[in-house]
Amino acid sequence: MIGKVEVKPLPKVDLPPLRQVGRPLRRVDALGKAVGSTVYAADFSMPNMLHAKVLRSPVPSGRIVGLNVDRARSIPGVACVLTARDLPGAKLSTDMPGQTGRKERAGSAAPVLARDVVRFQGEPIALVAAEMEEIAEEAIGAIELEMEETPGVFDPEEALKPGAPKVYGDDNVVARWKIRKGDVEKGMAEADLIVENTFRMPFVEHAYLEPEAGVAWVDDQGVINIRVCTQVVEHFRSVAKALGIPQNKVRIRGTMVGGGFGGKEDVTVEIFLALLARETGRPVKLVYTREESFVAQSKRHPFVITHRTGVKRDGRITAAKIDMIADSGAYPYLTPYVLLYATAMATGPYRIENVSVDSVAAATNQPFTSAFRGFGGPQAALAYEQQMDEIAKAVGLDPLTVRRANYLRRGDETATGQRIASEVWLEETVTRAIAGLGEPTPSSKTRKVGRGFASYFQSYGRITWFHDTSRAWVGLELDGTATIRCGVPDIGAGQANSLCQIASELLGVPLERVTVYATDSAVTPLAGTSTATRQLYMSGHAVHKAASAVRKNLLDRAAVHFGVGPDAVDLADGRAFVKGDESRSIGLDELASPCAADGIPLSTLALFTAPFTDGIDPETGQGDIWPDFTFGAQAVEVAVDIETGQVEVLKSVACHDVGRAINPAAVRGQIIGGSHQGLGYALMEEYIVKDGITQTPSLAEYLVPTSCDFPATEAIILESGSGVGPFGAKGIGEPALTPAAPAVANAVADAIGIRIHEVPITPERVLAAMKRGARWRG
Amino acid sequence: MTLPKFELHRPESLDEALDILASSPGAVPIAGGTALIVDMRGRRLSPPVLVDIGLIDRLSGVRIEGGEVVIGAATTIAEIKESDLIAQHSPLLSEACGLFASPSVRNRATIGGNIAYASPAADTAPPLLALDASVELASASGRRTVPIDRFFLGVRRTERRDDELITAIRFPIPAEGTEGRFRKLGLRRADAISVVSAAVSIGPPADGGRRVRIALGAVAPTPIRARRAEEALSAGPIDEGAILAAAEAAASEASPVSDLRGSDWYRREAIRALVRRLLRPVVEGRSDG
Amino acid sequence: MDERTIRLKINGREREVSLPPNVTLLRVLRDLGYVDVKNGCEKGDCGACAVLLDGKLVNSCLVLAWQADGREILTASGLGSIEHPHPIQEAFADTGAVQCGYCTPGMIMATKALLDVNPDPSEEEIREAISGNLCRCTGYAQIVEAVAEAARRIAGGGDSG
Repeated sequence: MIGKVEVKPLPKVDLPPLRQVGRPLRRVDALGKAVGSTVYAADFSMPNMLHAKVLRSPVPSGRIVGLNVDRARSIPGVACVLTARDLPGAKLSTDMPGQTGRKERAGSAAPVLARDVVRFQGEPIALVAAEMEEIAEEAIGAIELEMEETPGVFDPEEALKPGAPKVYGDDNVVARWKIRKGDVEKGMAEADLIVENTFRMPFVEHAYLEPEAGVAWVDDQGVINIRVCTQVVEHFRSVAKALGIPQNKVRIRGTMVGGGFGGKEDVTVEIFLALLARETGRPVKLVYTREESFVAQSKRHPFVITHRTGVKRDGRITAAKIDMIADSGAYPYLTPYVLLYATAMATGPYRIENVSVDSVAAATNQPFTSAFRGFGGPQAALAYEQQMDEIAKAVGLDPLTVRRANYLRRGDETATGQRIASEVWLEETVTRAIAGLGEPTPSSKTRKVGRGFASYFQSYGRITWFHDTSRAWVGLELDGTATIRCGVPDIGAGQANSLCQIASELLGVPLERVTVYATDSAVTPLAGTSTATRQLYMSGHAVHKAASAVRKNLLDRAAVHFGVGPDAVDLADGRAFVKGDESRSIGLDELASPCAADGIPLSTLALFTAPFTDGIDPETGQGDIWPDFTFGAQAVEVAVDIETGQVEVLKSVACHDVGRAINPAAVRGQIIGGSHQGLGYALMEEYIVKDGITQTPSLAEYLVPTSCDFPATEAIILESGSGVGPFGAKGIGEPALTPAAPAVANAVADAIGIRIHEVPITPERVLAAMKRGARWRG
Repeated sequence: MTLPKFELHRPESLDEALDILASSPGAVPIAGGTALIVDMRGRRLSPPVLVDIGLIDRLSGVRIEGGEVVIGAATTIAEIKESDLIAQHSPLLSEACGLFASPSVRNRATIGGNIAYASPAADTAPPLLALDASVELASASGRRTVPIDRFFLGVRRTERRDDELITAIRFPIPAEGTEGRFRKLGLRRADAISVVSAAVSIGPPADGGRRVRIALGAVAPTPIRARRAEEALSAGPIDEGAILAAAEAAASEASPVSDLRGSDWYRREAIRALVRRLLRPVVEGRSDG
Repeated sequence: MDERTIRLKINGREREVSLPPNVTLLRVLRDLGYVDVKNGCEKGDCGACAVLLDGKLVNSCLVLAWQADGREILTASGLGSIEHPHPIQEAFADTGAVQCGYCTPGMIMATKALLDVNPDPSEEEIREAISGNLCRCTGYAQIVEAVAEAARRIAGGGDSG
């Protein structure tokens, strides 16, 4: 059990005082959602609209030997049936979305519809559009599909063996990365002890409450409009490419997204909708069922991670050799990059001179894997943080001492040689998380209480060699209200609201008088993806930049009005005023008129560019990869029922340095919600696939936590002000999830004295581990 | 996803319902529909005719009748959970109904439906087995009552004929001093299907031994009575040794399958733990414990 | 499969609709424009489609529309509006209980069902009452706080619904 920790006062940070930023204001989107007036993707209909359905492969590996759609086409009310033969060569480019012109990586495209070969259960084969949903379903049933099953491969380790069935290409290798830093052999030789462990993680399903949905139509300019729930409106380019039409003839109108978590980062229904709308010339709606959502879209990558760590008696790590194998499933999608994240974060937030990491992702006939909150970071953390506890156990020191001996500090380099420029509050966060647990709960005869914690680091912002950009337009209307136009998709975390708070701060316009238009690829300036914990950083800066330009014009004009210098004027509460003498003030509406009359721009379009770097060295993995990192920790206390194996989370405390909390209520929501997903990852969630067939096809089998499963995670928000985001903010969306699962795994090991090397830590795995442990001890 | 096509009858009297069942081959009664609609949507069932029994007044409600507790088949799980009569006479059934699925499902699901559906994991089944309940069946040609331990024939197979309707569940009011408890283990703490469930009902000591019932769910093709476990407790004093013997017997009487929710090995372990835990407090409150 | 005309009183308004028996209440509500009733799983696992049927919380995906004939249905959009939100809806918006918002209408109806019978619930009672309504964003903590806050506001100012 972790002992008491001393919590030292935080370093003195000088955060500039702000009026709107930093307050837990009601989000601009909250009330509309609460009264049910937000129109989600499936809620929208058009006159004369058709309903679509998708025929999917029932087998995970096979050849299509017969596909006859004549009967389906002849059903009254069926408007259209499409198969691969109707779309020669249509591929879905799934290279990095929202690209900035980089070349597509070979082999990264999946066929829109399978033509001859099927590589996973659920792979789309045919599309139907009909007058009614019932008719579309009937037509799907009337398609005569004859398949010949072929031998598949259902395990990434098997897939890499010679002679394994090939999913595609010459081998099943989807991606490899390596890191070479220092001299691992020398480091191992210097070690007093070598600790080796292998950890396993399963497929995990995003299980957002909103299944994928959309409506598409062709407008009077011949533009295919697609109203869809997506994290990436820039997929209009992939859709245009797959259809072979100009990019300016596809418009994605994003909706409020009913949860994404990375699962709506890849193309979902929009490609099918575009094809059917073009073919029929009519509006078409496609809404996935829950079961279809499960088989059609990506999962979090299963990983097998082996750590071999050389360590001194005092806990200092001398060398780390890490091997990672990930299951890419049937198509690559974002696997190469997820694997890169896991690889580059494999050592955890620790200073290790000698590092060797080898990672590989293999293709299998399993569900394809792609982005999921944390993007490889949570898997890496599950391994490195459990390994740290095992190291502590091996050298006979407590887990915090071992970590402290190795924690990264500001200015240190990561395993890939990236120097960390922002604050590294590992000590600050871990001590507060642990102390937050309070007095230990006593164990009983059958209920063993244990505590565990995990530190982590997680990038925010996109890979810097992708040369990421975002744009935003900010304007003051003549009545003193403010408008933001920014292509940001809001996936529920308050992405749009944060922009409003930033604009509100800079323009002095109250939050309720700011309106944001977002997530439309045609009319809102492109802001990039709502992924990679990048929107606050990227679009926050773009709004900051645009609003600052408008602010400057307002201040200049107000200075003229008051007969003072611009530095003597400020904006707040809808007014411009002379600092120190707020009786001299003018409403922004009154100020807007002379600005307009003088031709002073009241709006600006701004572009923000992240740091641009070159790619890492492929042989050594050395180089910069991300703009910055978030650091933090989580501590939990669990009780393990040693007769039933059930694990109860008693307390959970997470402490993160978020740089600056733009909206503390939203930050708290991210921390608690992310933690909850992480607790589910640790104890409950597993998307089970047997020989390529999903065994957990719905929310009755794939269990996500209910309101009764876990206590609220206490969120301790620290603000170092040192992030690269606006106002010194770091990112929290993905980082919030990362430490929860390893903290639980460590707590369970603490409670029962046995390490369970895989998640989820189910009651059965606990009992089985205890039985094995008893045998070994006996 | 739409439902398959069917005819829906909504009779307002029992006789009318029974006539429809008698005259419509393949007709299936529907009450709350919380299981049936799910299976129809998944195309696992596609009955041509449904008979909604929700409008038949006398099929719902809890009452006492000649020394028996009688629960109308269309009584919802929520109503049973809230019923003072049930809480007074069979708290183990109240407990089971409180752990049944989720609040919104409990407002629709009925006890008759739960029994008729005959899932091995049905949460009301172990308590009803422990209470010596019987199932009242009616058809156009007559009525009969089947003891619940003979009602379940297999996974989703029961003694009910297609033309019969479950009209009520009844059980004798337990003797003064009877103690009963229910527990289930699921893979999460709410809205979970039981991995294992167990109910015990232990009567006061009497000449010729006490009445002991131990019933288990999700460990065999049907909910079962663990008769050897009962025997281990009915004659002698209920002490720690007897409890361990009963738990062991219960585990050996089970014939669990391995599925997504747990292996047969784990289920037997869980039975041991549940049975011990259900029995210990029952004993602690007794002078002979 | 014959159609039949049924009468539903939805959010206080009488609606007549003719439909076959294999249509769920969820489907008919959405077809009639009550799209605040969300489809999350269509098998009672998620609670996104929860409404009050004669005051009781039900998953509208597991009710046949005919079974609702002559009965009263209340959905989140019937509880309040942007202009006149119900205290429960205000409390959800104010406490950070709304993230993606897709579970929110069902959550709010579960809250309404709870507070109608238990105006001062404990945390445990709140958690139990919303246990059939999945939320993937919030971890439920701020929802639990919102329910408690709604109870306080209703006790303080009277239930407008």
